[in-house]
Amino acid sequence: MQSLAALFPADDYTLIAFIVLLPLLGAVVNGVFGKRLGREAVTLMGLGVILISFVLSVITFLLLRDAQGEEGEHAARLFWHGWDWINISIQHGGTTKLGVNLSVDALSGTMALVVTGVGFLIHLYSSKYMEDDPGFYRFFAYLNLFIFAMLVLILGDNLPVLFVGWEGVGLCSYLLIGFWFQDEKNAAAGKKAFITNRIGDFGLLCAMGLLVYYTGSLDWRGMDSGSSNLLQPVAIWPLGHHFPFFDHLGSVGTFLNTKVYVSAATLVGLALFLGCAGKSAQLPLYVWLPDAMAGPTPVSALIHAATMVTAGVYLVCRMSAVFVLSPAAMFVVALIGALTAFFAATIAFAQNDIKKVLAYSTVSQLGYMFLGVGVGAFTAGFFHVLTHAFFKACLFLGAGSVIHAMHERIHDTDASQDMRNMGGLRKYMPYTFATFAVSWAAIVGFPGSSGFFSKDEILLKAFTSTIASPTAGGVMNTPEGEVKLFLWPSWGGSVLYALGLLTAVFTAFYMSRLFFGIFFGEFRGWKIVKGFKAHYDDHQHHHEAGPLEGPKPHESPWQMWIPLAVLAVFAAFAGFWNASVLHIELFDHWLEPVFHAASDHVKPIEGAENFMMPFVGLAVAAFVVGVGAAYWVYVLQKGEPARKVAEALPGLHHLVADKWRVDELYDEVVIGSVDSLAEISVAGDKWVVDGIIARFTSAVVAGVGTVLRFFQTGVVHVYSAFMVVGLAWLGWLLITPKAEAKTVSDAAAGSFSVNAAPGLGYSYRWDANGDGQWDTEDFGDKTEVNFKLDVEKSRKVRLEVKNAFGRTNTAEFVLERPRPDKSGGGVIDVEAQPDGTLRGVPRNGQGAQEVKP
Amino acid sequence: MLGSVVEHYVAVASILFTLGAIGFLVRRNSLVQLMCIELMLNAVNLALVAFNRQHSADMDGQMFAFFIIAVAAAEAAVGLAIVLAFYRLRSSVFSDEADKLKH
Repeated sequence: MQSLAALFPADDYTLIAFIVLLPLLGAVVNGVFGKRLGREAVTLMGLGVILISFVLSVITFLLLRDAQGEEGEHAARLFWHGWDWINISIQHGGTTKLGVNLSVDALSGTMALVVTGVGFLIHLYSSKYMEDDPGFYRFFAYLNLFIFAMLVLILGDNLPVLFVGWEGVGLCSYLLIGFWFQDEKNAAAGKKAFITNRIGDFGLLCAMGLLVYYTGSLDWRGMDSGSSNLLQPVAIWPLGHHFPFFDHLGSVGTFLNTKVYVSAATLVGLALFLGCAGKSAQLPLYVWLPDAMAGPTPVSALIHAATMVTAGVYLVCRMSAVFVLSPAAMFVVALIGALTAFFAATIAFAQNDIKKVLAYSTVSQLGYMFLGVGVGAFTAGFFHVLTHAFFKACLFLGAGSVIHAMHERIHDTDASQDMRNMGGLRKYMPYTFATFAVSWAAIVGFPGSSGFFSKDEILLKAFTSTIASPTAGGVMNTPEGEVKLFLWPSWGGSVLYALGLLTAVFTAFYMSRLFFGIFFGEFRGWKIVKGFKAHYDDHQHHHEAGPLEGPKPHESPWQMWIPLAVLAVFAAFAGFWNASVLHIELFDHWLEPVFHAASDHVKPIEGAENFMMPFVGLAVAAFVVGVGAAYWVYVLQKGEPARKVAEALPGLHHLVADKWRVDELYDEVVIGSVDSLAEISVAGDKWVVDGIIARFTSAVVAGVGTVLRFFQTGVVHVYSAFMVVGLAWLGWLLITPKAEAKTVSDAAAGSFSVNAAPGLGYSYRWDANGDGQWDTEDFGDKTEVNFKLDVEKSRKVRLEVKNAFGRTNTAEFVLERPRPDKSGGGVIDVEAQPDGTLRGVPRNGQGAQEVKP
Repeated sequence: MLGSVVEHYVAVASILFTLGAIGFLVRRNSLVQLMCIELMLNAVNLALVAFNRQHSADMDGQMFAFFIIAVAAAEAAVGLAIVLAFYRLRSSVFSDEADKLKH
């Protein structure tokens, strides 16, 4: 370790670049050459780079642990500077330099372990799951690219680098959701995810702008140290300080023009959270995640359960020093998290598609994480990210294993994922069953499992933790006097806890429903026939031919159940890393340096320790009630009570089964308004652009063309005639002299001169004195005449030019000296003189004066 | 003395040029038209050489004349090729039958 630490010093930690770039290498090789490399080489490349990345992440983690000490005494950070990127001018005339920098500390080091570790297991799983897919190489290229983007996201040292990764994972998510893009539904789901995320990205971009404006920095350290500047007031209403229109509305107008102040920290926090809500599928932007299940199941496990969707939680943890400055933003985070957890759990009750159930469960668990970080329990929230990554990835992969087995005889995507076609699989798929059971125990909060500890901690903190006012007395000084800041409400803890606990019961219930539905009871997929031989052509015909027959559902190969087993072990035991009930707080100490600045603002309520044991009891009760109810309903009564409830309340049942019709609402409101806007644009395009601009232009061109077509007779003779006539005209022009001259006048001095334009073989005669007679009867080579005039006098100068053919031409020039303007000091035009000086010329043409250039 | 000689040459060149132009316009036989073009080119050559005689300090006029001779040779080759191609198409060398562009 010492030698490694010497080889890779903390301020030039090159290893981090390898962690990030290896998956990119895999993506490029697989993407560009994958088709020719063949399946084995693609597998080797795709898995190899992630495995090396994982090993390097482990080394990094160990180095970090060494540097940080057993109890987390020192804040350790390994840093690597890639290259300079952007210079941004900031307030007070400075600039802040943004580099392509990577850094790793306790938080990102843990996250990197999860991404590469779980990522590798899922890669291994995919090598079998996607075996028969023609897009095998494409899949691994995307998957590697995703790992690369995710590592950029978590290892970036400033927000713009994080943003690159943030968009990168969004892109990979889009590509992988729509991986089977031949099916319109999948492509639409990909687009939905991408577009919904754009709304969140808008928030993140706004937050970046605000942060660089107020803190003068965008890297983690700079933002932490500059975060005190975020406590200044920002007037968010009225826009542009004052609406003149409202002045005419009397007292209502005065009220509407009242300035509204919030602290900059609140603005930044809310904008950041908009980004997090998009990426992490929180209300109201959660709608894309359930649809994202259109992608292959390993994608759902990796991207839409374990890693990418937790990026929002990671960002809140990363920006914790900013968030804690605004109790308002924190409360919004916590409340949205709790509401999302509850809301998604209700939808999961009525879903039959096993991936959909898991998707809503993911949304719900993400809500828990935000509830945790929102009340200032950053460690608890992030710990749930970790345990959730294990058990939810395991659940998804288990579901994939089940779907893989169902595909033996059921080839329709929806039917193969429908739990009504499953049941009793524990006999046929022992490994899948065992691992699924372990992670099911974790998510429903079986005492001692990882999910139990992490969820329990969040629920406890939801009740006991509050965010202290960032200023003394909870007021902020604004130009309009003191404004009261939003402070953590006294009822907050109870509401958040109630929602969280209720969700825990719901989670236990619907996850048990899923678990029992898949693995218990009778197998409902097809009739199991001993020694069944699949007919070659039955892909098309088995629907009509009576009850479907088939062999015993098969267990998945080792490439698929080994990852399941590893993840299940972690799902079972990872909780002991931070079991505060048992007074094990390793993870707390590990992350302490990261959340050090933020933890000063988090205040537990009085007597918080006393709640710990009763709350553990309540959490266990939630588990028992939820699982017990599900066991009674779905195993003992074979689902009869659920059917009765659905029949008694058909309206509610349909509403829940249709996911509260939120998608339909968005269709009407958001997509409908965009559609109308598009229709208006189409009308504008049709009538204004096409009708006026395009048609009019083409009519002009067509008209001119009609006239010109007259001359295009198509007869060579006529063309040659035109040519000769043109030539003759040109010749005529050449033998006609041009009488042209330039007059130069200086009105102030009264001197004028006339310069005749030169020409080949020209000779000139002048009438310079204006007496109507030529000065000399003969033509000469005098090209210029000069004379002076008195004030208000004018003169007519004539010039006659003769060329070598004896043809002449005459021109007249009238020159006048105006009266000087007595007022003086008028507007002065400056004109450049031929000799390079500048001359000021008053508008009225008198009193020319030199201007020094 | 010399000046009046140049004027004579120029006068001859103008007449030749005008003859060429008129011939080019009124004759329908494209071979004759080509010859008319040659006539015009050579009229210009004559004028150039005559002017060069007057301004004999440099040889611009003669140089131009040589260029025109070279261009005229190329023009004759291309022109005859066009006439040949046209004859194959229409079995005729009359230029008023060259109306394929429009008809």
